[in-house]
Amino acid sequence: MTTWQKLHADPQLWQRYVIREHVLHAIREFFDRQDFHEVETPLLIANPPAESYLDVFETKLLDRNRNGKHAYLSTSPEVPLKKLMVAGLGNCYALTKSFRNMEMQSSLHNPEFTILEWYRVGADYKEIMSDCESLLLYIREYIVKKQKKPGDTSPTLTYQNTVVDLSAPWEKLTMVEAFKKWAGIDFVQFLEMEKAKEIAVKKGYTVSADTSWEELYNQIFLNEVEPHLGRGKPTILYEFPGSMAALARRKQSDPRFAERFEFYIEGLELGDCYSELTDWREQQSRFENELKELKRSGKTMYDYDHDFIEALKIGLPDCSGIAIGVDRLVMLFADVKTIQETLLFPANELFENA
Amino acid sequence: MATITTANFKKGNFIEFRNEPNQIVDFQFVNPGKGSAFVRAKLKSLKTGKVIEFTYKSGETVEELPILTREMQYLYKEGDSYVFMDNFSYEQFNISEGLLEGFIKYLKPNDTYQVLVYGEDAVGVRFPKKVWLTVTEADEGVKGNTASGATKTVVVETGAVITVPLFIKEGDKIGIDPETGAYLERG
Repeated sequence: MTTWQKLHADPQLWQRYVIREHVLHAIREFFDRQDFHEVETPLLIANPPAESYLDVFETKLLDRNRNGKHAYLSTSPEVPLKKLMVAGLGNCYALTKSFRNMEMQSSLHNPEFTILEWYRVGADYKEIMSDCESLLLYIREYIVKKQKKPGDTSPTLTYQNTVVDLSAPWEKLTMVEAFKKWAGIDFVQFLEMEKAKEIAVKKGYTVSADTSWEELYNQIFLNEVEPHLGRGKPTILYEFPGSMAALARRKQSDPRFAERFEFYIEGLELGDCYSELTDWREQQSRFENELKELKRSGKTMYDYDHDFIEALKIGLPDCSGIAIGVDRLVMLFADVKTIQETLLFPANELFENA
Repeated sequence: MATITTANFKKGNFIEFRNEPNQIVDFQFVNPGKGSAFVRAKLKSLKTGKVIEFTYKSGETVEELPILTREMQYLYKEGDSYVFMDNFSYEQFNISEGLLEGFIKYLKPNDTYQVLVYGEDAVGVRFPKKVWLTVTEADEGVKGNTASGATKTVVVETGAVITVPLFIKEGDKIGIDPETGAYLERG
């Protein structure tokens, strides 16, 4: 049965889709009250930001003579938002769709998903951490109000039978601390490829000649660290290796790490934040490296957005921003295990018989 | 043993994990924020029945275990395990509860099933696409309720509770998908 058929048979199911409405409305109210601008960014674009870890959807834009130009579906609203900040917009957000290919067969991904990005001018990533804490509490209160449960004032939500305490401050772990705590690894040593291989082999992972550092890092992270994050209380994981933050600023006191954080609730990764890179030369060279990596890994090729580099030359104000997977937020508040259960038309249903 | 990669993973495959026989109960693709693809598998130990999660690099190789299928009759429950008898050799095998899991509620004594055998041990049952069971308890459909898609629940002879259309009556034989527990058709 497709979702609308299930809804037809069981009206109780509407409940979780009403939660989606509440989450979207609460997000807008949260930012409108702080005078953020909501902007609409394009979904159909000519140049995606060069990000080798993403697969883009490619299409064709035809003129009246059917002459085609390459066109792509946006993978995030980040670049247009930054151009608008260069143009002087100030604090802003987009609550929109993004598209990432090759993300089927996962209960945490839908190739078309809802993303929230906001940017605070003059802020660093630590201020965005507080924004996240406040936003989740705000959404919780909004839902409680809508459900007319005024007595429910405890700052918690229940996800899959576990009570999660959303009150600030959340647990904060640097990458170094998290690897020490959950995997027993000295992460500074692990940054070196030879050492990383040695540690992975000792732990029983398969390491071959073409295994990359990033694969070793992710495999250990996914197996030994991530499952422990956000249990009973959200966890903010911060200070990522510089190599893993294409659009983030390096930490001044230790350039091996970048000012980036992610936050987790009950093992779910919900958001990814940077102190934004404002140096156009650094950005251009990172884009060029990403394109080389795209070519090497055989993914859909495209040219990066040169107009964005032009914008950075004029000057992006110091700012920090974050992208949040809104469908995953809905999963949390609706207490469902898969992203598909939060969507009225999940892609696997649409393409099942296609 | 045959070597397979994560691209060949199927639910129900038997593989070696840390030198122990395991079954892939479920798996899914994981794309961590930055980087390559991974496959997160739920593995059930054939020795302990315990389920753990392990994340493989996409394309990583594992050893697939040689599993034979033998036709056996289900006899009875004995403690925490279920006793089956080979239809040809009359040899008896015990399968522990953990290895049968969701299928237990469809097991009918004296019926024949495809039993999976690894070495000397019976390690599970290959789910048929459809099991036929008789409805033993059913309420009358609510009168006047003819809305399409309306359903009720009934109990079948093995005790399983199934959601069915309103026209199903006590004594009907119904076809059920044992993997999902979904009603398929009336016999």
